[in-house]
Amino acid sequence: MADGPRISHTSAMILQAIGIGHIYGYTVMEVTGLASGTVYPALRRLERDQLIRSQWERQSIAEAALRPARRYYKLTRAGEAAVETSRKRYPLLAKLASREQEVQDV
Amino acid sequence: MKAQWPQSIILRAASLLAPGDQRAEWLAGWRSELWYIPRRGSTGFCLGAFQDALWLRRNSPSAGRHLESPLSCLAFLALLAAVCNLVAVCLPAPDTMTSSSHLRLRDLPAGCIAMLLLSGLMLPAIRLAMGPHASRYPLPWRNRLRRGIFLALKIALLQPLMLVGFFAVVWLQPVVPMAPQLVVFALWFRAFRWVLIDQRDRCPVCLRLLTAPVRIGSASQTFLEWYGAESTCSRGHGLLQTAEMPASYSGKPEWLALDDSWKSLFCPAGPSSEAAGVRHP
Repeated sequence: MADGPRISHTSAMILQAIGIGHIYGYTVMEVTGLASGTVYPALRRLERDQLIRSQWERQSIAEAALRPARRYYKLTRAGEAAVETSRKRYPLLAKLASREQEVQDV
Repeated sequence: MKAQWPQSIILRAASLLAPGDQRAEWLAGWRSELWYIPRRGSTGFCLGAFQDALWLRRNSPSAGRHLESPLSCLAFLALLAAVCNLVAVCLPAPDTMTSSSHLRLRDLPAGCIAMLLLSGLMLPAIRLAMGPHASRYPLPWRNRLRRGIFLALKIALLQPLMLVGFFAVVWLQPVVPMAPQLVVFALWFRAFRWVLIDQRDRCPVCLRLLTAPVRIGSASQTFLEWYGAESTCSRGHGLLQTAEMPASYSGKPEWLALDDSWKSLFCPAGPSSEAAGVRHP
């Protein structure tokens, strides 16, 4: 039997994306290639299952940058454990992080 | 990107699907995200808002609360039936049903009875497709009768909706073959499924919708153990335990009746506390 929570491939991709620093909904969409209709409900589901938590950015920070405040997501401890488990289950997920590194290097 | 009017309209339309108490925050979240989206692809981005709003509605604890009491549920269905009757009378009638160009008021009961016969064929099949229902709980005959009457009234009040759907099929069939039948059949199926789910999710004693659903266990962390959801009657009549994945040892939802010793844990039966479905431990 699995030693951690079992999550779908989509959820694993989203958790992995948040884990490597894509903390906004749209950036998660960009890095995973998933549609908004998939990502946002999945983020809500992961938050309900306490694998991530969300918070609104402070208004003062957003105002200083002349842009609207946005909601950002962070992994919880259970979420971090889920990412570790899902990496074993979906080994190709590691490519998400390495591809991101390649893009940054270029 | 600054929100353009098509995107604003899409988001505004999608927000109608979100529960009212969370709508403002939901809309603010999507609008702020939209600001960061490049213009190309922003419409596609906004279309995803419908799925998100639907998810929120389906998973919101407040969803369906306005139909909590059996009377408000019947009032809603009666209003829907009145609107459907009005539509059926105002629109031109199919040639085969009546000699006049419009359906007359006196023809409506006959149309609804015909639909009732069709419902009699559909309901057992839908019930079978939905799987097992809550085990029978030994109720006094008065409660059983009240429960049966409530179900019969709900089904009867759906007949005008079915009638309008039938007219839609007859009118649209020459224009678009097959599609209207499929859409209307799917709508009928959804309506009857809702009636049966609503009946299952009500307290068998007071017929109010069960509240405070709590998830118990986890699919990944149980082995041969029950996991699923447990809902409570806000008046403390009992708990409904529904397994997330039916198994041989937990196939049917179970109704666990609570005796009077539990009464002190629940709110006294007052309108405000009942509406909120608050449970005081």
